[in-house]
Amino acid sequence: MIAQLRKNILDLIIITAGFFAVLPIFGINRATDFIIFCIFVLGFNLLYGYMGRLSFGHMLYLGIGAYTITLFAEHVSKNPFLALIASILAGALIGVIIGPIVVRTTGACFALINLAFNQVGYFLALVALSRWTGGEDGMSAYFNKIALFDFGKKPVIFGFCLFSLLFTFFILKRLLSSPYGILIKSIKENEIRVKFLGYNTFKYKWIAFIISTTISSFAGALSILNYGYVTPSFIDPTRAVEVIFATLIGGAGSLYGALIGGVLYMAISNYLASYLSRWEMFLGFALLIIVFRFRKGVWGYVKDKFAIKAHGMVR
Amino acid sequence: MHIQVKTIYHHCLHLGINKIRCIAMKENHILETKGVTINFNGLVAVDNVDFKLLEGESVGIIGPNGAGKTTFFNLITGFFPPTKGKIFFYGKDITNNPPHKRARMGIIRTFQLVSVFDSLSVLDNLLLSIINSSNIPPSKDNFYFAEAHKEDLKNLCLSSLSTLGLEQKAYLMTSELSYGDKRKLEIAVALSMNPKMLLLDEPFAGLSDQEIIEVSKIIKEFKKGFSMVIIEHKISRIVELVERLCVMHEGRLIAEGIPNQVLCDPLVREVYWGKEDGLVCSV
Repeated sequence: MIAQLRKNILDLIIITAGFFAVLPIFGINRATDFIIFCIFVLGFNLLYGYMGRLSFGHMLYLGIGAYTITLFAEHVSKNPFLALIASILAGALIGVIIGPIVVRTTGACFALINLAFNQVGYFLALVALSRWTGGEDGMSAYFNKIALFDFGKKPVIFGFCLFSLLFTFFILKRLLSSPYGILIKSIKENEIRVKFLGYNTFKYKWIAFIISTTISSFAGALSILNYGYVTPSFIDPTRAVEVIFATLIGGAGSLYGALIGGVLYMAISNYLASYLSRWEMFLGFALLIIVFRFRKGVWGYVKDKFAIKAHGMVR
Repeated sequence: MHIQVKTIYHHCLHLGINKIRCIAMKENHILETKGVTINFNGLVAVDNVDFKLLEGESVGIIGPNGAGKTTFFNLITGFFPPTKGKIFFYGKDITNNPPHKRARMGIIRTFQLVSVFDSLSVLDNLLLSIINSSNIPPSKDNFYFAEAHKEDLKNLCLSSLSTLGLEQKAYLMTSELSYGDKRKLEIAVALSMNPKMLLLDEPFAGLSDQEIIEVSKIIKEFKKGFSMVIIEHKISRIVELVERLCVMHEGRLIAEGIPNQVLCDPLVREVYWGKEDGLVCSV
């Protein structure tokens, strides 16, 4: 118990210190972006890294969070916390609704069905529901100040997002070290065998999908708290590659891998973009290097190199 | 079925079980398949098989490669639904039950190629099966948020592993185990699920002579608690373990009865060893 507490405190210090270290290099705006993106990568990584289901349509779930919080603020209440809760519930709801369709599939089929749903969502936001979503122009979101939480102030939103990231991290850490965590890892390796152990894998895959869409939606909602406006780029399926890149760079199937991948991807894209017009090409080279040199991602390489055990200091 | 070498009644008599108890046993079928058939686009892999298994009985299934033995296991465990026929477990029709429901009912199997989770530790492999069948399962909330390696569960896993001599390897990754140890782990997983009927698909395949002796000893030790069906090509080993032997050929059950008598059946000898096997058979 005490050993576990020590590990958690160490995780807390490492993550907090890591993001404070990014602050002077990229500024508070970018650092907040990094944190939000890391939350998105954590949600995606649960599905891809731990359960072995690659989704090409995860921008849909991010976009649902972003549009829900904006529409909630516009039409229901400008209380940011109520709007956040509405976004989280919307993310869970979309997982509940489309989960039974997508989790029956695997491999390319899983990836493409997610993409198909994302395309539908993108079209709805851009054209069919443009009267409410603002179409291509998007729309702004304004939130009231609640007690000390004035999300218009950058240090407040930075602190709140960092707290949200830590909360997501520890929830996932707990989940993944439970019997359920072991179960979803075993589904990744051999789902048929899991069925013969007496588990209804459909149910457990569906739950993982719902958790993943909920976290992604939460990240989308936090983005709106940070930016204050939503555009169709939040739901654009072509941007799904960003979260896939980040997961692969950091190392799929690891919480620290997701954080490292999220920060590295954002750092590369922000840094290179200010110097090169076609910076995406260098990301392609980076991916090639990772595929051939660091198959388990940066964190996987570090773990192997320094023999950090999965049950040891950190995951 | 072409030849019924010995009926179950003869088998009872042979084992010294009196007729009254034998008739009582007849009613106590744990598993019954009636006309089970599976047709893969014209290829009939299992053809109209009627099979019964008594409570506590051990049965072996032999037959040449491609005879349909593993497919028959797949039908019993729900891997495929049969094209025709019914499967009953304790008299209940389970023909359309999915594999996980059958496993929860106590129909447990192992696989021809060892099937354990290489990416998990030995302990975690066992934990997954024990959680589903032990008397101390985590509650619904705990399944999602409790620490998997709680003391009581861990001790249960370690004691299961110790019966198969694997407790020293509990914290190793399963990928680091030898093939023989993986086979033992697979059997430990199966035994930890409190089987009512255990289906072992070629448990000696790929094992060294020493490992075969060890695994055979484990099976002998534990088989008293449940019914068991074994598919195996090593005939000298299977006859030591089972009370009844069935022979499959081209999807059909062509003979069944007491092992030594089945092995002397001319049709069995023909399909297994060819017409001119030249071996002397004594019952």
